[in-house]
Amino acid sequence: MEDRVKKVMGSVFNVDIDLIKDNSSPDNIENWDSLKHMNLIIALEEEFEIEFDDEEIVDSMNYALILNIINHKVVN
Amino acid sequence: MKYSEIIRLNHELEGALKETEYKVVILSNIMVHQSKEICEYLLRIESVNASVSIGEYDNIVQDSAKIQDVNAVLIFWEVCNFIDGLQYKINTLSEIDFQSLVEKIKLEIDLIFNNLKDMPLVLINKFTSLIFDQFSLPVSRINELTNELNFYLESAIGENVKIVDINKVISKLSISSSVDLRYYYSSKTLYSVEFYKQYFEYIKPIFLSTAGKIKKALIFDCDNTLWKGVLGEDGFDNIKIYQEIQYLALDLAKKGVIIGICSKNNPEDVDEVLKKHQDMIIRDNDIVIKKVNWGDKASNLKLIAKELNIGTDSLVFIDDSSFEIDLIKKKLPEVRVFQVPKKEYEYGLMVRELSNLFYNSSETKEDERKVQIYKEQLQRTKGEESIENIEDYLATLGLVLKVYIDDPTQVARISQMTQKTNQFNLTTKRYSESGIKSFILNSDKIVISIEVNDKFGSSGLTGLAVLCKKTSEIDTLLLSCRVLGRNIEYVFINIIIDIANKNKFEVLKARYIKTHKNPQVEDFYDKCGFDVIAKDNDSSMYSLDVDNFKYKNIKYIKVKNGR
Repeated sequence: MEDRVKKVMGSVFNVDIDLIKDNSSPDNIENWDSLKHMNLIIALEEEFEIEFDDEEIVDSMNYALILNIINHKVVN
Repeated sequence: MKYSEIIRLNHELEGALKETEYKVVILSNIMVHQSKEICEYLLRIESVNASVSIGEYDNIVQDSAKIQDVNAVLIFWEVCNFIDGLQYKINTLSEIDFQSLVEKIKLEIDLIFNNLKDMPLVLINKFTSLIFDQFSLPVSRINELTNELNFYLESAIGENVKIVDINKVISKLSISSSVDLRYYYSSKTLYSVEFYKQYFEYIKPIFLSTAGKIKKALIFDCDNTLWKGVLGEDGFDNIKIYQEIQYLALDLAKKGVIIGICSKNNPEDVDEVLKKHQDMIIRDNDIVIKKVNWGDKASNLKLIAKELNIGTDSLVFIDDSSFEIDLIKKKLPEVRVFQVPKKEYEYGLMVRELSNLFYNSSETKEDERKVQIYKEQLQRTKGEESIENIEDYLATLGLVLKVYIDDPTQVARISQMTQKTNQFNLTTKRYSESGIKSFILNSDKIVISIEVNDKFGSSGLTGLAVLCKKTSEIDTLLLSCRVLGRNIEYVFINIIIDIANKNKFEVLKARYIKTHKNPQVEDFYDKCGFDVIAKDNDSSMYSLDVDNFKYKNIKYIKVKNGR
């Protein structure tokens, strides 16, 4: 699961997977702007066949939070 | 393939391609940001070095006035966002407000097309109400609106504009897979990534055609591909001809696609079917090239490309065997391969869809004759093998060049030549029909086209030169590959010098711009006696003192005035 999330993030933001840490966020990933955030959510939804609701989209602002939300969704 | 995978591979392809950039701008009144990587990726895997940029949100008219120096403009203009929430406001609009909205959009259509009239290619989606009018029993107002605007659109477009029927893409995927209303309400993103994948796959041939990457030949295996059954085992009487497939192939042949056969069989058995089987639709005459033997198919396809004088990347190959399909994918990844589907009823659909790969932005008279032309070409190639001295052979051909200058009836074919010719093309500049038309009308440009005739027939218009008076330069010089190897290029240069003389050129400048397909003409101007005045890795600049030009005397090629 962790690897798949990192792989998607690495592709969307064009960064090395090893550079993605728990606290990776728009503050420390240069490419992570609002448009790329949208692309990220769409890519994650496709990857895990899930749907984020509006609140979750707004909350998904670092790697740890994203992982948490997806874990929660996939389990349910 | 998943969206994140596309983004990743697209990054990898970026910079790996050496070709000149193919710039696409997408203008839209909704958010279309997911289209960028998908469009780039689908073109880059066809070695078109695409670079897509997206205009400002809801600024189609303003942006259309600013665009410069791009290869194609694509417009996504959605009725639901003409004004915010139009899809639900429209039914309560007064008739006056409705009409003034219609007038406003028509005016904007005119403005946009006028702003974009010099672009080589403009694609605009048909207006669609499908998404918001899903199941309305009476004709809804939003449907009336799109009908009226589409009617207007058809009447307003210029030669450089193509209308894309976006409803075909939406219907293929279903409305619910094409759009994601969650994102429409939150961020005006209407279409899903699934939609973009299908959409760009659908329109890709239009880009490929203008980028000179069109597919040229469709090559069939025989057993279980042109007919059901194995000829060598089931026998002549027990095979069942796939007539639908053959009708589709025949139609493509009429449009100028080369149809060929590459099959492991006894050649005389296949010939017997082609000549005598009463159910066959494709006959020997329709087939330009046949490689029927027991050799490997990758080598045979390479031979086919070589004999036709086209690149292997211009081939499309259909076979039923996973082994053969796999072999070609590995050995010749640039060949597009298709496997006959397991379900027989899906085969026709597959061939109809792959026919899009041969999309030709302008069909011309030469296309109809192309089967004949390629056959004559093969006959000439065979003749070459038997005569040792090539000059003696050429002298037997009875070559005649007909020269045309600024002929407005040839615009479509001339533009097509600039788009399709890769090998003997000194500058590889692609021009649209409107571009060529303006050259012909413009007194600064001289457009010289030549038709090559010999005792086997006419090759049609197969050579082009564009001279620019202001800069005294040869802007474009190209010859179609089917007339190469006959020293026509040297006679063509003689003709060009004569015309330069008549127009009082003192010097004639010329340029060679390198691409990965035109190294054969790298030293062409050197051979013609031009002096190099500047040179780097990708191009050379030449100059010639017109008075001192030494004409090559090639007696066996006659020159005539075309008109």
